Amino acid sequence: MDAVITVDNLSKRFRRRNANQPTTLKELALKGLRGLRAEYFWGLRDLSFRITAGRTVGIIGQNGAGKSTLLRMIGGVGKPDRGSVRTEGRISALLDLGAGFHPELTGRENVYIAGVIAGLTRAEISERFEAMVSFAELEDFIDNPFRTYSSGMQMRLAFAVAAHTDPQILIIDEVLAVGDIAFQRKCLQRIAQFKAEGCTIVLVSHEPALIRELCDEVLWLRSGQLVAHGAADVVVGQYVAEMTAETRRRTPRLRPNRQLASGAELELNTNRFGSMEAEITEVRLLDAHGLPLADMESGDTLRVLIDYASSQPIPAPILSVSISREDGLVCYDTHTAVSGIETTMLAGQKSAILHIDRLDLVGGLYYVDVGIHEQNWQYSYDYHWHVYPLTVHASGTGKGILHAPHQWEVETVQPDRIVIY
Amino acid sequence: MTTSIRIWNNRTLIYLRDLLHELVGRDLKLRYKRSVLGIIWSLISPLTQLLIFTFLFNKVVPLNIPNYTTFVFSGVLAWTWFQTSLLMGTTVIVDNRDLIRRPGFPAAVLPAVTVTTNLIHYVLALPVLLVFLLLDGGRITPAFLVLPLILVIQFLFTLSLVYIVAALHVTFRDVQHILGIALILLFYLTPVFYRANAVPEEYQMIYQLNPLAHLLDAYRTLLIMGQWPDPVPLALISGATVVLFGIGYNIFTRANDHFAEEL
Repeated sequence: MDAVITVDNLSKRFRRRNANQPTTLKELALKGLRGLRAEYFWGLRDLSFRITAGRTVGIIGQNGAGKSTLLRMIGGVGKPDRGSVRTEGRISALLDLGAGFHPELTGRENVYIAGVIAGLTRAEISERFEAMVSFAELEDFIDNPFRTYSSGMQMRLAFAVAAHTDPQILIIDEVLAVGDIAFQRKCLQRIAQFKAEGCTIVLVSHEPALIRELCDEVLWLRSGQLVAHGAADVVVGQYVAEMTAETRRRTPRLRPNRQLASGAELELNTNRFGSMEAEITEVRLLDAHGLPLADMESGDTLRVLIDYASSQPIPAPILSVSISREDGLVCYDTHTAVSGIETTMLAGQKSAILHIDRLDLVGGLYYVDVGIHEQNWQYSYDYHWHVYPLTVHASGTGKGILHAPHQWEVETVQPDRIVIY
Repeated sequence: MTTSIRIWNNRTLIYLRDLLHELVGRDLKLRYKRSVLGIIWSLISPLTQLLIFTFLFNKVVPLNIPNYTTFVFSGVLAWTWFQTSLLMGTTVIVDNRDLIRRPGFPAAVLPAVTVTTNLIHYVLALPVLLVFLLLDGGRITPAFLVLPLILVIQFLFTLSLVYIVAALHVTFRDVQHILGIALILLFYLTPVFYRANAVPEEYQMIYQLNPLAHLLDAYRTLLIMGQWPDPVPLALISGATVVLFGIGYNIFTRANDHFAEEL
């Protein structure tokens, strides 16, 4: 297969923003040309790779690793300082979905503007207009001003326009992190369709799970350099392992063990991991009435109350709760980021409650694992693993994980001759 | 192969035209949405200037220029197009950060959008100018056919300058303020409300070197006198404009490589 994206020894440097840099002509005149001498740093260093047609490629790495820069360079925004980027075919982008949309204009007017910005001609937009509007499910509102739309509607319309371009290369930057679940599913379906049509896709995401699910191959960047390029499972696995190691490395060594009310003990690096910049101070399992429980009937309500605190301000941490079996199999997992919950700056004491309306698990012993993590999943602040036991009682199920509410309806054929008393 | 290139070129041209069309449309719609007077708003400012100048230089300090209303109004309208394009164009890159950072977006279209939007205001005001012209006893002559040519020259001249200031403004954010002052100066050095030949001999050089002075002269020759404008200065300005456009566009496209990171 031919490469549709060829990157050779790509390096990109940026001017370091320092206070000495003149930002006005006045300063330039006062400081003279000396002021123009800038300090540079390399945002991308010596990257080389090839992507063949029809592949879906993920880019992972921490914040500032150069993921978005690489994505934009592939899209032709900015010029390499060394090396080259060559692409073949029409490029379309799912990034800054709202670009070009204006609140005062109607949905219809905005579709045309966003359409030309996305690279379509007016004739092409008119051809696809109906399809875009019905994809966004906004037929009845298309002539209303954009500002009257809910944010979900705005996002749907913006995505609908982007989804109706016909790119040969599609680049995606974190757009899937927005919107409600139904919308996200629609996005993913459309991306799968692009993929099926043979489109080459390059996407950036913080979510290793999403990358693993969508991508064939993965580029892992660290400080602007390529750490690994290979099959998605392998590279994501490697990446996650390093992130976990990062959490371990950050875990302070000296910390007195803490006795919990239940009698369990929290011990660092055994059942507790993290940098301890923020701490989970209390976890309580409650029933529907808010009373503490240690065992429950399958199908009942479970609430997980988490108290957490930090002595220093921590931007928008992610809270996670998972329920795992004794052998470590995760049966249920959720976190604030995937639920679209924006947490705020943490300073001091806070608490959160997760309501699980029905917990339909087969009977047995489980653990509720609770964590608080850095806003981009770079490492954990505090993670309590297999500390909070939960016994679930269920009748009438065998093996498996799920105890779904059920009833049998069996057609019983009564044999005539046998009468049972 | 050749045909595919031709088709590609063709589509690119259609695309650029459509992009310009939609972005100019957006500017116009936004300006006039929810305003009762609509397009008339764009006339209020030049009409106010017209009122001031006709009062000042007909009544207070009479300049004795025949057809003074038409004379001033033609100058004010052309100057307004030039000035507003430059002032709005300075920030056009900075204001459209999200578009600049989009793969495949031709940033060079943005300054053209600004100059075109203001050209449309100018063209919409022309009927009013014609009314003044006819009231002043002027008439429409075949010389009016040159008008589009002069508009094209002014368009390219303005666009060249907008390319330069828009690119500069990305790095030096005080360009806007400096330009504001420069434009005030240039306004008085351009014969908008007076005649260049009333200026003493020793200062004539300034007017000879000012392309806007020649453009205004051409507008007035054909509008007020109904005569063909002098082709020599027009040809010279056209040549200079082509060179300036080359320089401006070049500066802009070079700077364009760094817009995304400077914004």
